[in-house]
Amino acid sequence: MSRPVTAPAAPRPRTAGAVTGVPLLFALVRTVLLLALVSVAVFTATELLPGDAVDLRVTPGADEEEVRELREELGLDAAPWRRYLDWAGSLLTGDLGTSLVNGRPVADALAQRLPATLAVVGGALAVATPASLALAWWAGGSRRARRLSTAVLTGGAALPTAVTAAALAAVFSGALGLVPPVSLLPPGASPWQHPELLFLPVASLALPTAFFGASLLAGAVADTVRLPHVADARRRGVPPWRIASTDVLPFLLAPFTRVTANTAGGLIAAAALVETLFGYPGIGSLLVSSLASRDLPVVQATAVVAAAVVLVGLLVGDLVAALTEPRRRPVR
Amino acid sequence: MNRRLAPVLASLSVPLLSAAVLAVALFGGWWAPHSPTSSTGAPWQLPDPVHLLGTDALGRDVLSRVLAGGRGLLGVSVAAAVCACAVGTAGGLAAGWFGGPASRLLTAVADLLLALPSLLLALLAAIALPWHTAVVVATVCGGAPLTLRVVKDAVRAARTSGYVEAALLRGEGTASILLREVLPAVRGLVVADLGLRLVVALQVASALSVLGLGAAPPAPDWALMLRENMTGVAINPWAVAAPAVALGATTVLLALLAQLYLSDDRTPGSRDRGPARKEPADG
Repeated sequence: MSRPVTAPAAPRPRTAGAVTGVPLLFALVRTVLLLALVSVAVFTATELLPGDAVDLRVTPGADEEEVRELREELGLDAAPWRRYLDWAGSLLTGDLGTSLVNGRPVADALAQRLPATLAVVGGALAVATPASLALAWWAGGSRRARRLSTAVLTGGAALPTAVTAAALAAVFSGALGLVPPVSLLPPGASPWQHPELLFLPVASLALPTAFFGASLLAGAVADTVRLPHVADARRRGVPPWRIASTDVLPFLLAPFTRVTANTAGGLIAAAALVETLFGYPGIGSLLVSSLASRDLPVVQATAVVAAAVVLVGLLVGDLVAALTEPRRRPVR
Repeated sequence: MNRRLAPVLASLSVPLLSAAVLAVALFGGWWAPHSPTSSTGAPWQLPDPVHLLGTDALGRDVLSRVLAGGRGLLGVSVAAAVCACAVGTAGGLAAGWFGGPASRLLTAVADLLLALPSLLLALLAAIALPWHTAVVVATVCGGAPLTLRVVKDAVRAARTSGYVEAALLRGEGTASILLREVLPAVRGLVVADLGLRLVVALQVASALSVLGLGAAPPAPDWALMLRENMTGVAINPWAVAAPAVALGATTVLLALLAQLYLSDDRTPGSRDRGPARKEPADG
């Protein structure tokens, strides 16, 4: 039996090269549509709440005349659709309104807290992304441990973020006393100056995300390692790390990007929970605390900005995935 | 270890464990040694023979609160999951059976909803709605689209099967065929899907409770316990660890049960289980 002298080059996934205009436009339109939908939902939800800004501002015992004047002055007597358009219009021009509680511009509070949230979410992504790839590799690549790996990924992905946060806090600050149980940042301090405060929030976000991402990716890994050229390379005795880097990984780039974009969107929402639990000053905890104090301008602006961050993240992920995706042949 | 017995035991372990955990979650309050809502000791006591898991921030027995703390959470989650599954199944039956523009419209709406993380939906819903309603709304918006997709594909396959064509030839009406022929055929899928929706509902319900938008304070509730006792985690870690283990065990076992029911030999992760968006299937 003679073997071929030169190994055939590993096939590369053919990429689309350039994103064609139509899907790009479609993704953009969908993002704008969703953001408009979210803004309507947020506005409607805050409209449904009993009481308005006047009830918060008016001094107890004020007569009806005064209340009516104040309502007129704030423009609250206009029709709801008009007030929605006013509000959405000022959001578009960058005017996010002022807090009812402390009278400070909402934009200031957001600008102060957004970096803190991005630090936690970015840290969690930096940990969860390679971890999910490694877990998916283990689950999708091995045939023997498949039942076990499926169970581990399913179970890990099902864990509520609150549970991982509580368990990590109980172990690392309760039993071991390694990190403080609350992550209160001194005002004005950057989260990077206090890495010990970032540990619990980042770890509790990253853990379920890694399992969730891996459970979505494992199928793609299992499909790729069964491709003929991978089996062929294995038969030729190509070392496993080479097979991984040249024969398998390029095919995983597109699903990997999609999964990462999805998990990033979920992470920003889950950050609200972790921030509140650990007292960490991000936009998630701002949304929750302003909900509790019925500070409606802050609730409205924060919810829309958070949704916008999520949707733009998903859009970028979609575009990157479209760029890296193997060209699909029309299947009939 | 007996070779024949081991796989049987292994396959039975998840259903049995799930049944045990669910029984404790639903009826555990009956065995609570102390009142779950009144103080019986000093705050943050470490475990002792009277308080097996110590006491919480207000000196209430942690064990009693954990035993009583699953019912409300599980109740609202089951209601939300059933609603999401029912809406998704109805949509999937319609989209898979009728096809055409109706199917495209339903799928487009589903894809639009799927683009939003369910926790964000829950937060938006919780602005104006009470806890129970917010959990139901978020689970339906975030879960029904996934159910719809799974059911739609199964119905499309069932449409061209022999028993459906036989029923069509017998002259049975659409509603009758959908309810008596197609629905029983996709039943297993729907039951497994209900389990997955229940897991997401539990995640959403517990998240809202942790954020202080859920169960009201004196009530024993696992997620609320996490919120209340986090400040004392360094003094009595059990006050946080015990409800975390209870909540975690419940969700993980339910997810494993759904997975087991779905199929034993499917490639891992090939099913769409979470808020993931897939590109529309071509063809």
